[in-house]
Amino acid sequence: MKCEHIAELLPDYLQGSLSPEQHHKVEAHLEQCADCSEEVVIWRKLSLLPVDQPGPASRARFEAMLQAYQAGRSNQPADDSHRRKPASAWNWNVLHWLRSPVGAMAWSAALLAIGVFAGLRLASPKPPSVDLAAVQSELASTKQLVVLSMLQQQSASARLEGVTWSTREQQLDPQVLSALLHTLRYDQSVDVRLAALDALSRHGRQPQVHKGVLDSLQHDQSPLVQVALIDLMLEWRDRDAAHRLQELEQTPNLNPTVRQRVEWAKSKLN
Amino acid sequence: MLQVRDGAGETLGVLFDRYQTPLFNFYSKMTGDRALSEDLVQEVFLRILKYRQSYRPGTPFRAWVYQIARHARIDHFRKFPPQTALEPEMLPPVLPTDSVQEQQDVELLQRALQQLPEEKREILLLCRFQELKYEEIAALLGCELNTVRTRIHRALQDLRKAFHQLARGTMVKKAEAAAAENIPPRGRHEV
Repeated sequence: MKCEHIAELLPDYLQGSLSPEQHHKVEAHLEQCADCSEEVVIWRKLSLLPVDQPGPASRARFEAMLQAYQAGRSNQPADDSHRRKPASAWNWNVLHWLRSPVGAMAWSAALLAIGVFAGLRLASPKPPSVDLAAVQSELASTKQLVVLSMLQQQSASARLEGVTWSTREQQLDPQVLSALLHTLRYDQSVDVRLAALDALSRHGRQPQVHKGVLDSLQHDQSPLVQVALIDLMLEWRDRDAAHRLQELEQTPNLNPTVRQRVEWAKSKLN
Repeated sequence: MLQVRDGAGETLGVLFDRYQTPLFNFYSKMTGDRALSEDLVQEVFLRILKYRQSYRPGTPFRAWVYQIARHARIDHFRKFPPQTALEPEMLPPVLPTDSVQEQQDVELLQRALQQLPEEKREILLLCRFQELKYEEIAALLGCELNTVRTRIHRALQDLRKAFHQLARGTMVKKAEAAAAENIPPRGRHEV
């Protein structure tokens, strides 16, 4: 048997999952082939590597993180997505309907109608590029309107959906960006704020977004959002990072996990 | 895990006790950096909390955890690309073992592992230390079962070569050191 054939069997041989017959074949090959038998030796030697134990503070850090997470969640009014569901049932049903096969067909029909309309208009003697641009901008602004209206829903799930919609567009209207910033600053749900932060992180090159996002660091009380903001600040290589971190550090009753993250971020800046 | 998924935070403590050492080992052998490995373990548990709803009941929990663990490491190095090559002192300490030979093997193996390309080191760690089944690794890496077998074999081949190269280097150094001791210092300059 050649090495290439053994290559197929060796991994299973090492895990002891070959049939007795195949096992025997591999053993016979190993007796003759120095390279293959050395591979088996190396595999066995790997068991000599010591098991590293994490430091003793690891468990305490975990507990702090868990507490911070639970504190962040219990700060939310009790809650949102469940209690307010009846009020927003209509919106919710509409959303479900839009996602159902019937809804999908309706969407397709609407898009087809827009297409036919655009086609007819394009075929008309008017300058075509203007109309096409108009239809495109109409479509884009419709999408953005959907986002804007969803961000104002009472149900946290619907707002979350709105944020997700906004990530489908490469370019966002300033109005949508400022709605997302408003969501990041004032939304009651930590999950929605985190999602908004994620959506905004794609638009960090715009000075308005950059400043708005990082300014919310001073206002947000949720450790999760604070930690995500600190990470983003490092990723964006913010000029005022050192100053912002210092300000945050002086906040009374700052969560220990966040404080640790601040120290870590400061060490990364230096 | 279903309890964690449905919001019972304390159950996560049990999972933490069960998984923190394997995960820490995965990261420390992967990166050779203890402090970073501890940070990444915390990150994994934070992500388990955040994304617990995405766990599908009935699927292997271990594979889901390692999926998160891989992404946490990839995301970290995307945000903070490693700037310095691995320093030998960052490697985990070698515990005293029974024989000098074993101790030397462990040192060489650790260095050889660090010389492997990341994906080869990762697949070896997953099957040898994290004891993931080949099927689980295939699902994790998004490839065929046979591809996993081939990759493991290639990684092992590379590890063998790296190990032998290092072992030869060590022997040459030892021989040179022994030879240097026998030559008087002035004599060497005159040559």
